[in-house]
Amino acid sequence: MINLFKMDFHRFVRNKTMYLLLLIYSAFQIFGVFMMSLYEEPMAETGTLISKMNASEFIQSVLSQTPSWMLLYIMVFTIYFYISELNSGYYKNYITMKHARIHSVVSKIIMQAFFTLLMLATLIISDFIGRYLFLDNSSIGDLGFFLKLLSSQFLLQWAFSVLILCVAMITKKMLVSLIVGFVFALNIFGMILSSLESVLFDKAYVSDYLLVNTIMRIKDFNDLNELIVVLGIGLVSLIIFITIATTYKLKEDLK
Amino acid sequence: MSGAIIELKGLTKQFKMKTAVHKASFKINKGDIFGLIGQNGAGKSTLLKMIGGLLYPTSGDIHFFNEASDKNQLYFERMGLLIESPGLYPAYTAYQNLNLMMIAYGIKNSNEEINKLLQLVGLENEKKLKVKEFSMGMKQRLGIAIALLGSPDVLILDEPINGLDPHGIKEVRELILELNKNGLTIIISSHILEELSKVATQYAIIHEGKIMETISKDELLLKCEERIELEIDDAKEVTPVLEETLNIKHYKVNDQNTIYIYDSQVENHQIVKHLSAKGIAIHSISKHKQGLEQYFLERTGREAAYSDQFI
Ligand SMILES: Nc1ncnc2c1ncn2[C@@H]1O[C@H](COP(=O)(O)OP(=O)(O)O)[C@@H](O)[C@H]1O
Ligand SMILES: [Mg+2]
Repeated sequence: MINLFKMDFHRFVRNKTMYLLLLIYSAFQIFGVFMMSLYEEPMAETGTLISKMNASEFIQSVLSQTPSWMLLYIMVFTIYFYISELNSGYYKNYITMKHARIHSVVSKIIMQAFFTLLMLATLIISDFIGRYLFLDNSSIGDLGFFLKLLSSQFLLQWAFSVLILCVAMITKKMLVSLIVGFVFALNIFGMILSSLESVLFDKAYVSDYLLVNTIMRIKDFNDLNELIVVLGIGLVSLIIFITIATTYKLKEDLK
Repeated sequence: MSGAIIELKGLTKQFKMKTAVHKASFKINKGDIFGLIGQNGAGKSTLLKMIGGLLYPTSGDIHFFNEASDKNQLYFERMGLLIESPGLYPAYTAYQNLNLMMIAYGIKNSNEEINKLLQLVGLENEKKLKVKEFSMGMKQRLGIAIALLGSPDVLILDEPINGLDPHGIKEVRELILELNKNGLTIIISSHILEELSKVATQYAIIHEGKIMETISKDELLLKCEERIELEIDDAKEVTPVLEETLNIKHYKVNDQNTIYIYDSQVENHQIVKHLSAKGIAIHSISKHKQGLEQYFLERTGREAAYSDQFI
């Protein structure tokens, strides 16, 4: 386990595409804050001015925008990291090791956790720089709230990356999994279901508990119930997708 | 004596519409160079992928050290694979590709070992070159180097000479013989019997997913050796003439009516002349030579000829 993990980690840190993704994301993020500072309007939902938001409020508003760039980047990385190994056939070199199949999947999932963490860190740092430079605001707000926001977002986004891993494993093709990944990252199912439910029942039953809907919804972490629900959705999704990914890999016929 | 290291029992792989391997059963002994021979599409790669743990059999078992493979996964760890195309990262150099597997095996101080392997497969001057710049033959050799990493007990090479030039073929052949000398069991597939015959000690002929025959090198050579087949009434009358008059030492009495003569000096007409002089009747005499390739074609054509009768 440790060794296959080290192998993937070696590939991870040497992966220039990953640094490029982070760099581009950071640049767009800072540029985005700059654009917001030029055309400042109160947020539709809360009515708060962007320049008056603390870090938590700002990040929540960024993550609630469609399309969710964060999800798109995580999706691209996950597919790239998995499919490039699959296409190279490198797995053939280690498949005869003990528990190789399960270890290789777990190791991919851990790499995705690293990438999700790096994306969150990039988001925080870039927003901080942007807000400091263009909005003259560097307040973090309530630290407890901020940490609850980050940890639950990490859990949710990581679970999303495992969902995408399942897509890549099952489709086995770069292009197909990117297309399916886009559909998930743009939350097309979630939006359809939400609008169906609001038209038919005037109320959300299932759609509020969908993973991507939960990622994009603005949440009140001061409400303990809401925190528990959000963490629960993250944890349950993570367990379901990890189970699918490992079961699939254990049964998969490899080329 | 060296016993079986791998045993297949009724191994079958069914793809949706196609039975790629059908009830394959045979043993591979420790220290063998086991040649799997079959035409394109015969099921060689599919069979090797099942042994290598890439594909799951639809039915049947693979036994390692007389234990079913699923109970004894550990064994797989000591098996090097090169099946179909070598698994290499195109953006990595030869050195980096090997180094990554060293990490996976947890081998420290890998530099020396990597250089040794690169030298073994003749890539020591290309170690800084990215794999995407490699020729097919170079990739194949790097694939062998990776398969050898971690000192496996069993090496599986699926058509390893594909894409190699005659010089490369010779090098791989010498490498295989060298590795086998040190006790490595090697399973190697090819569609060219002539090439396999230069290394293999044991053969299995596969045709349309079925194992047609398993045969040792000695048996095969005997069957393919040039010989004169002599049909007579009583072999006992004939042998003294062969030995004393014609001075033939190398012959075999197949049964009472047939004798095989392996002496290549003697001509048919000499035999006829001397036997006739002794009043021995010859029912038939024929020179018999079967090339390896012809032998193989006969085994793999059998199935086709058989099914023709039912059309
Ligand atoms: N994944 C697969 N799905 C369906 N058919 C397959 C698959 N892999 C191989 N086959 C079929 O099985 C047969 C044997 O293939 P293979 O084992 O690659 O033969 P060989 O290696 O002897 O050329 C071929 O007819 C091939 O088309
Ligand atoms: Mg093949």
